[in-house]
Amino acid sequence: MGNKQTIFTDEQLDAYQDCTFFTRKEILRLHARYHELAPHLVPMDYTNDPECKLPLALIVNMPELNENPFRSRIVESFSEDGMGNLSFNEFVDMFSVLSEMAPRELKAIYAFKIYDFNVDNYLCKEDLEKTLNKLTKEELTPEEVELVCEKTIEEADLDGDHKLSFADFENMISRAPDFLSTFHIRI
Amino acid sequence: MTSERAQNPSSNEVSQTGFPGEQQSLRLRGVSSGASDQNYPQFNWRSTSEEEEEEEDEDEDENCEETREIRSRPMHMALKRAVRQVQEMQVPVVSSGKSWKWRHAKSLRKLKNNSREFLYFFVLWRKSLQKIGGNFGGGVQSYFLFLRFLVVLNFFSFLLIAGFVLIPSIVFRSVGSSTGYSGFVGSQCMKYDPNPQGLIVFYKYFLDLLSGTGFMEYSYLFYGFYNNTMVESGNFSYNIPLAYLGTAAFYFAFCLICMIARMGSAFRVTVATGGSTVGNYSMMVFTGWDYSCLGDQATKLKQKNINYQLQVDLEEQRLKRRAAELTLGQKVLLYSLRVLMGVLSLALIFAAFYGIALATDFSQQKSGQEGILGLIFEYLPSIAITAGNFVVPLLCDQIALVEKYPPSNTVIVALLRSVFLRLMSLGILLYTLWSQITCEGDTDSAACKLCYYNHGDYPCWETRVGQEMYKLTLFDFLIHFAVLILVEFPRRMVVDNSSSKLAQWVGRQEFVVPSNVLVLVYGQTVVWAGALFCPLLPLINTVKFVFLFYFKKITLFYNCRPALKTFRSTKSNFFFLLVLLLGWGLALVVMIYSLSEIHPSFGCGPFRLFSSMWSVFPASFYSLPQTSQEFLFFIGSQAFLTPLFVLFIVGMCYFIALASVYGKSVALLREQQKREVRDKQFLVKQIEELKKLHPPIDNAAVYES
Repeated sequence: MGNKQTIFTDEQLDAYQDCTFFTRKEILRLHARYHELAPHLVPMDYTNDPECKLPLALIVNMPELNENPFRSRIVESFSEDGMGNLSFNEFVDMFSVLSEMAPRELKAIYAFKIYDFNVDNYLCKEDLEKTLNKLTKEELTPEEVELVCEKTIEEADLDGDHKLSFADFENMISRAPDFLSTFHIRI
Repeated sequence: MTSERAQNPSSNEVSQTGFPGEQQSLRLRGVSSGASDQNYPQFNWRSTSEEEEEEEDEDEDENCEETREIRSRPMHMALKRAVRQVQEMQVPVVSSGKSWKWRHAKSLRKLKNNSREFLYFFVLWRKSLQKIGGNFGGGVQSYFLFLRFLVVLNFFSFLLIAGFVLIPSIVFRSVGSSTGYSGFVGSQCMKYDPNPQGLIVFYKYFLDLLSGTGFMEYSYLFYGFYNNTMVESGNFSYNIPLAYLGTAAFYFAFCLICMIARMGSAFRVTVATGGSTVGNYSMMVFTGWDYSCLGDQATKLKQKNINYQLQVDLEEQRLKRRAAELTLGQKVLLYSLRVLMGVLSLALIFAAFYGIALATDFSQQKSGQEGILGLIFEYLPSIAITAGNFVVPLLCDQIALVEKYPPSNTVIVALLRSVFLRLMSLGILLYTLWSQITCEGDTDSAACKLCYYNHGDYPCWETRVGQEMYKLTLFDFLIHFAVLILVEFPRRMVVDNSSSKLAQWVGRQEFVVPSNVLVLVYGQTVVWAGALFCPLLPLINTVKFVFLFYFKKITLFYNCRPALKTFRSTKSNFFFLLVLLLGWGLALVVMIYSLSEIHPSFGCGPFRLFSSMWSVFPASFYSLPQTSQEFLFFIGSQAFLTPLFVLFIVGMCYFIALASVYGKSVALLREQQKREVRDKQFLVKQIEELKKLHPPIDNAAVYES
């Protein structure tokens, strides 16, 4: 297109286009959103790939993530240091995986990371209980929570170790028709 | 340290956190090399460079697939960009022919991206739908998506009809080409005088607008206005009757293709996921949260929703357990009660049908009345249908309370009853009309003997049918508007401002998706049934649906509280389209019957010279050049059709066999997976036992050496 923008070089935009599911316009728009989170921290000129990370607290204030009960886990899963500090690369990556064009397998990998609260590569009972409590805002009684967690593990656990590995999770997700449409943030 | 562990496939591994064991098996498969504690499948640098060397001789498309795959890889962005850079640098090594192909594919992708950006502007109502989906959930959003689909479908249908029927008619009429008919049947049949004589009261124009009579009757709106012009000047020839019929046929085919295409994508998801009901709880926990929920209220609502769903499921479990514990006597009682209630609901539905038939009869008899009373008589069938469709589902809901089906079944049963009621009420109306127009199919009765149809009451019966469909559409629209203004807004104001118990109990209105969708399907079926007789009906319907979108959006945001019970959006999309297809089928039956069985009016319309509307096809067929005729004869002959049919059957059998084989192999693989897990557990137990048998001294010896 003909517009002159000085935020990224053309090569950078091409790289972003190849590495994410966004078009040039959407990437520029994402940069604008990233910039408005912390206008004094984020440079307008990214041609030199500046090192700039925004902390978790700023990112979860975005209206798209503000009310999501899993917002901290989402941002932590996409950050390289695991603490939730996102550079622009990771910011774009996060929304790319959560966009509607990302394939099911990719989304399943990240969904597993998000629900794995204690980061041990398994969804154990504590992870499920935390997930359920965040989902229902602790309105269920402890017995009901216990019952639902048991039933969930019973349904999805294939290798019988009473916790869900990634294979179990992916197997269960492959049978969920709504997964692609619910695991999706529009930006 | 991890690599040491990887080299010792001993007992310690598997009993600890699953990861090293997993890595062990991954290593055996040779995918990832180099240990790392990263939590997701690793990108293998070494394997890429090996692949690159081998790829010189392979198809260059692999390169593009590698690039496309980069964005599907679960790596951090910096890593992905580095990989991409490596690949970019390796490209010039390949030969020029292959690099051209690669560049071609790359520019194709750029073109696709640019066209996606361009089409971004043409999507209708994107922001509104986003807002609706974020605030009210996927179920309500699917209603609006369905509405948008119908708007676009109707608009393109109108373009089709305008291009082939309307514009040529306007052109030929203004040019003044003769209509070229000659009266041969008794002039009785050809008497058709739509323009009333004498002084017309001013408000009659308004009444005429509402009922399609008077000045509106003899206009482009209805069938009766079109002439059977067959223009032939020079090498340009245009046959209006043929165009009219061909457009109608193509319009039906076009709608069918659009619906099937849309159903296909919804169906693919259902097939891919197996459509199993197992995994209810796990699905709800892991896929229940809609990440695109916006705003504080919507989130609270979503949480309440999930709560409600889980409690409903737990309740269903309890009910199932209780149902299994019923004694035989109680079961018999329950089933006989259900049968009785089913019969009662059917009786209610048929009573509604009878009422509609009576109303239509009465309305047709009093069709000459003037003034407001006349208007009411004109609208009697529409009023009867709307009233029936409002009252009967309410009563059926009460009946459902007695039947005590499990909650998910109640919804399905209620839906089936509503669909049956809606579509059949339209069918009853059309049947009543038909029986009056053709004297119940008896061409020997006094009224129908001369012209094969009741020319006394219906000098131009197609226009009359078109008028009925027009009135149905208009009444539907007016009722929506009236309900919005007179019921929904006041209800909200009363509920919000008064604190009486009754107001709180009634509560704010809920946006119930299924009944709203059925209203849309009904409206669209009316348009399909009437398109042959009222060519501008798709345009009227487009405008109506556009207004409906805005009405419903306003009422959603101002008057409604979101429903506690939600619809599964993927399953419901498929269901809506299925019901729409049913409506299409009904309209198709109507159209085919009127095309082939009922004699067209002698006094009006493009088919006044033909013995049936269908006969214009054979007539124009014989005017084709000889070779085309022979070709078409050949295609229609047995020699061609029978092998085609056999081929079709063979193809279908092949696909059915393929689908069943895939299903079986999926089931087998699942079983195999379970068996492997059990084998693994067995081996672990064996290893533990062996460890116990051999004393620990041996292990120390291993470590020392």
